[in-house]
Parts: sequence; structure tokens; C-alpha cells
Amino acid sequence: MKQLMGGARRRRVLIGGAVAVLVAGAGTWATDTWPFDGKDTYCWGAWKEDSGPDFLSSDTLDEDNASRTSKETAPTKARQRGRCAVKLHSERTSSDGSNVAEETEITVTYGPAPKGAAERMEWIGGYLGDTSMPLPDGLPGATDGRQGLLVLPKGCDTEDGRPTTVTLDSLARSDYGDSTVSSDAGLGGSQSVARLLAAVANRAMEKAGCAPDKPLEANSPMPTLPEDDEDFFTRACRIRGLEFSEKASRDMEYQVGAVTRDLQSCSVRTDHGNGRFFDALMVAQPRLSALFDGATGSEAPARGWRGTGVFADDYKVVRAECAGRPLNVLMLASSVHEKTPYFAAFANAVARRVGCAPVAPGGSSR
Amino acid sequence: MNDSENENNNDNSNENGNESASSARVPLHERRRPWWHWHRVARSRQRLAVIMAVVGALLGALLGGAGVAWQAEAGPFADDRACWGALGRDDVAALFDGKRDIETSEVPITSDRIGSEGPSGECRLTSPRGRRITVQAHQLDTRFGGAGGQWADEFLSARLTPLGDGLLGMASDTRAWLAVPDGCIGRPSGIDTSGPTVIDMETGWTVYDDDVNTEDRDALARAVVKLVNHYMADKGCTSKIADPVPQMSGPPRFPDEKKDAMCGIKGLRLPAAFVHDGRGDTVVTRGGGPVRTCDRDVLFNHPELRLMTIEDPRLAILYERMSLDGAKDEVSADEQDGYGFVRDDMGLFQAKCQTGQVTFLVRAENGRHPSDIRTILPRYVAAEADRIGCGPLHITVHPHG
Repeated sequence: MKQLMGGARRRRVLIGGAVAVLVAGAGTWATDTWPFDGKDTYCWGAWKEDSGPDFLSSDTLDEDNASRTSKETAPTKARQRGRCAVKLHSERTSSDGSNVAEETEITVTYGPAPKGAAERMEWIGGYLGDTSMPLPDGLPGATDGRQGLLVLPKGCDTEDGRPTTVTLDSLARSDYGDSTVSSDAGLGGSQSVARLLAAVANRAMEKAGCAPDKPLEANSPMPTLPEDDEDFFTRACRIRGLEFSEKASRDMEYQVGAVTRDLQSCSVRTDHGNGRFFDALMVAQPRLSALFDGATGSEAPARGWRGTGVFADDYKVVRAECAGRPLNVLMLASSVHEKTPYFAAFANAVARRVGCAPVAPGGSSR
Repeated sequence: MNDSENENNNDNSNENGNESASSARVPLHERRRPWWHWHRVARSRQRLAVIMAVVGALLGALLGGAGVAWQAEAGPFADDRACWGALGRDDVAALFDGKRDIETSEVPITSDRIGSEGPSGECRLTSPRGRRITVQAHQLDTRFGGAGGQWADEFLSARLTPLGDGLLGMASDTRAWLAVPDGCIGRPSGIDTSGPTVIDMETGWTVYDDDVNTEDRDALARAVVKLVNHYMADKGCTSKIADPVPQMSGPPRFPDEKKDAMCGIKGLRLPAAFVHDGRGDTVVTRGGGPVRTCDRDVLFNHPELRLMTIEDPRLAILYERMSLDGAKDEVSADEQDGYGFVRDDMGLFQAKCQTGQVTFLVRAENGRHPSDIRTILPRYVAAEADRIGCGPLHITVHPHG
């Protein structure tokens, strides 16, 4: 090589190289990227300091005694479970001079859905029901801005066929010494949670060796919750059959969540929103539907019902075919009151809405 | 040789004494080169290194600066962008058959001080050949029957096709509109009954043809998405709406109307008064939600009869106040199902469906056929409610007179 290159030519190469290095240097400096930033990363390198949401902002650490710590266990090919937690701690003096400690914890869990059916139903309802809305860009999952769930592609399923998920939970509170008040974890809203979930899922799948060819992305706008809770009603969630007398509904309220072809939820609460009357959920999106696999029994839950299902103490679930895919209907409720008529009304109203035959006995189709 | 001597003189006069002394040692072939030739300037390795460093730093700074300017859309990159910086030269050209001599003028998007009217702004693209496109950003007015007015007339016409994928927006070859997603600017809260903030585009010319030019429609659809994306980025929102064109349905349908299927809706009998008198076709929106309109016998953009269903509660709110107007003849329905009224030229039912408010509207261009309106409304509501998953929905209208 040396012999082939004359002096002038070598000089030209030298200049070219030097310019390239300088330009590249200026570029990384201008865009604030490695090695000029010195920013911390969290959750297996998926989230970077100052990348958007407040809890990752370096400004949060400007307060007194403020610290951000993290703990993480990455999934591996051999061990398909992982967990990471980011903790924020800061102290401030309140207006009356007492000391207030702010604690925030954001936890990400990588792994399969819980195995036990009762536990799993509660887990599904917790992430997909109430005020959660579907993730954008067709990602199978949901978030309400404080927590979120994303079901990973089939390639990450466990050996017994259960889907692997990434969940995100947050806890934020202000500790006044004698009392604690919950506060905002600084996740930056639903859109931001969708991005955090996609980023951490991509990194975890790389570690676990099941990453798809194209990384998951959450770019499109996140749908927003259509309405607030409603405390003056006789028909809950505008669903025929979920009727309450004016007297019965006096201290109750309902919350309509997502209402799409893939996901629908309706929560009815007692005690001015503090107690559960029931949480009703419909799931038809195929990957979310897979979360129910193995928990919906092998025969009809009761006489006259279509499909298969289970009526347990704390939940009722039924799965029936609808427009070529399984439609799962779940109701979480304590069995103090007999809720089957409400479950039947919800199941049939939802099935009819999406254009399918009734699931519960006594329903009529279009 | 003369030339080279002259150059040498110039060289000497410009350089200091040290340099002029060394110029005597410059080889002949080097002397022929002008003094600023890099071979002459970079005579030694040290000088070369210094030059390299300086040139490199300058180049880096220039490129870096240009990059920043490009990102910030400043400097020479700013002048080319139209409509608040949302549309590049190519985007504008795409709207005018590739012509690049389009003039733009604009009023920035601002809100009044208390925000009661929502944000508003306007941008106009004008071709020297007379074509022009007006872009408006505004919040749809739900007051004073503003919804029944011109905006719905034009922008919810059957010639427009939904942008699809859950987007609240539509496009034709002469009109396009798209609501700014709630996730970005926040959804109007329960007590606030204001309409969505939209960006809409209209081309100045009237089209007498019912057929829609798909190429022009796609260009408008892409442009309106770019405008909304740019607006969202300005508001600090990180999400971005993808190109809607691949998922959009074809242009509107012209159903072959049978006597018992007005607008292609089975079981909806066509009243004798509305049998085509040679004035025009029947045009029906294609594609799923948020709006399905059937315009019959359109003349100068005005249908003789319009049947319209608005599925998206964010848009159906436009008709909420009107539906509660008790002064007109009320429609009888289960109070839990919704409200509505009929009058001589229109019937309206605002239903409470599982998805939220849904508007069913029947409107004639005049009040000449009041009994037909009363016949059509309940049947239209029943059929459409079934189609969109809000059935069974039965309402009763008292006969006319």
C-alpha cells in the first residue's frame, strides 16, 4: 500500500482524514452525543438522562439531597425475566418549615403474565381496564400515563406458549412525616409512557435474544381518554342492561375507558369512587387476547352461554369466537352481590356493538 | 513568463521580508503556480499541518453551523417554507401540479388572550395562474348552530374520504381537514363543550364533477397531515401522524339506488318527492368513520337532501346544543338513548352510544317536504345505529300537522 501511494497522494489522504475527524468531532459536539455528554442511562441502557420525561431530567437532581439510583437485572437467553427500577429521592422544606421527602419509583418488569388464573385476571384488568387507552401504532398494549403494559411479539413467548410482556409501574409520594400524599411521578403522560415502554421492550428483547427485525416504535399520537368519570346516572357506561336505580347509584360513579374494536372497558365504583362494584373489560386484539390463553376453561361457564368460560369467586371470564377471532369478556367483582346479570348485559352489548352473535343467554343479534 | 513575474511581484509585495527572501528558493515549476496555490502555500509539513487544522476547523464549523441552521429552519433554509414553516417547496409544488412559482402569505396561529375562541391562523398559497389554496387553523364553533352552517356543508360533504386509522379528518380533491389529536393539546374537558381544533384546506374553485381526482386528493391529504404535524411539533408534542394515503379508501361511491334503499341503505324507502329529477347523482362517503354522508342531487356544492352520521364524539359535539333545542318538535325516545327534534327542513337525533355521542342528521335544502323528513329520520337512525354498533335504537316522530 505504501509503495503504491505517492507523496502528494498520501498528503491528500492525510488531509481528508483530518478533516473527517474534525467534522465528525464538531458534529458529535453539536448534537450532544457521545463522548461529550456524560449522561446516565437506565433500564439496560434503554432510557437516557434528559431524554424527555421529568423523572429522567438532570434538573430534578438540583434540589436538596436529591438522588437518582437504579437497580437492574437484565433478561438473558437462558433466563427470560428481568426487572429494573429507577428511584428518585429529594427533600425540601414546606411552607410551614417542616421537612418533606419526595419519593418516586418507576419499575419495569420483563417476563410472562402471571401463571395463576385469578392473579392473571386481576393483573390484566389492572393494566388494560379503567382509564387505560390502547398504545399507538398498533402496539398490543395500553397505558393510563401512570402504568402500562406491552405484549411482545410471538418470538418472545415462553415455552408453554404464554406471551412475554413488559410492564411499567410508578409510585410517587410526598412524605410529610405525619402523612403521605401521592404525587406525580414525572413520566410525562401517556405518549411518553408509550415511548418508554417501546424503548425498554426493544432493549430487553435484544438481551433476551428475541428481538424482531424491526424495533417497536410508538410514534403516532396516543388516543386520549374520551371522558371523565360520571357520578349522576342510572345507566352505566351507556350500556343497555347496566341499569341502576337513582337510589342505588347515589354514591356510585362509572368510568368509560377505551371503546374500540380491540378493547373496551367500563368500571362501576361504589363509595364515591373508592370501592369496586365491578370492572368490566372486553379484549379482542389477538396478542392481548393471548394473555387469556389457558384461563378461560374448556366449556361454557353456565347454561346458555356461548364459547368457554369460568365463573370464579372474584372474576367471571368468557371467550367466544367473534368475526374470526376470540372475543374475551372479563368482569372483576367481589361476589358479595350477584353480578351475573351485569356480566351478561355487558358481554352481549359489546358483542353486538362489534357485530357478533350474543355471548350470554337471552341476547339478540343485529 | 511575464505573467509569472507579475505574480512574483504581487507575491513579494504581499508577504514580509522573510518570505521574499525564501521566494528565491522556489523551484521554477512552483513559480508558475499562483501564490495562493495550495502546493506553494503548503510547502512544509508544519505549514501543511497548520493549514489542515485551520481548514478542518472552518469546514467543521461551517457544516455544523449549516446543520444547526437547517434543523432550526433558519438562514437560507427558512425562506422556502410556506404556511408557518410547515410546507417545503416540494410540498407546495405537489399541490400545484409541480409548479414552483407559488406565492404565500400568512397570518400566524395565535390564541386570543383568554383562549375562548381557541387558536386561529390563516395561510394562503396563490398561483400566478389564478389557482389558490386557503389553509385555516381554527377551533370549530359549537355555538349559534355554527355546526349546521357552512363548514359542515363543505367539509363533511360526501366527496371527502376519511383519512382512516382513527384520525379525525377527511380529504377530497378540493377540501381537506384534520383535527389536532387530543393527546397533544388536550381534549376539551367535560364542561367545556367546544369543538375540536382543526386545520383545513380549501381550493378556491368549485367542482361540478362528482368524481374525485384521487391524485389531487392524496396531495391535499398529505399536506394537511404535514400541517398538523408541524403544529404539534410547535406545541412541543413528540408524536407524529404517519402518511395517511396508503390506508385511505377509494373516492366516494355512487350507489345504484333501489326504491327501498335510498343512499344504498337497505330498508330506507325513497320518497317520491326525492326521486332523481335529472339534477344529479347520489354520492356516499367511502371508508369507515368518523363521518358517513349521503348527498343527493348536489347543485353548486349544495345537496337537495343530506343524510349524515357522525360517529366520532369529538365531532358529534358540534350538534349537541342543537339537539337539545326544545322549541322544535321533539323526537320521542328512551331518555337514556338520546335527544332529537324534527322541523320542516331537517331532523336530528343525538344518540348516546357506547362509543359516546353520535349524530344522525337528515337535512333538505328547503322545507317543502316536511312529512318525508319525519318518515326518513326514524328509519335512518335505526339502520345506521345498527351499522355502527349502536343498535337497537328506535325513535318515534309524531306525524306532521
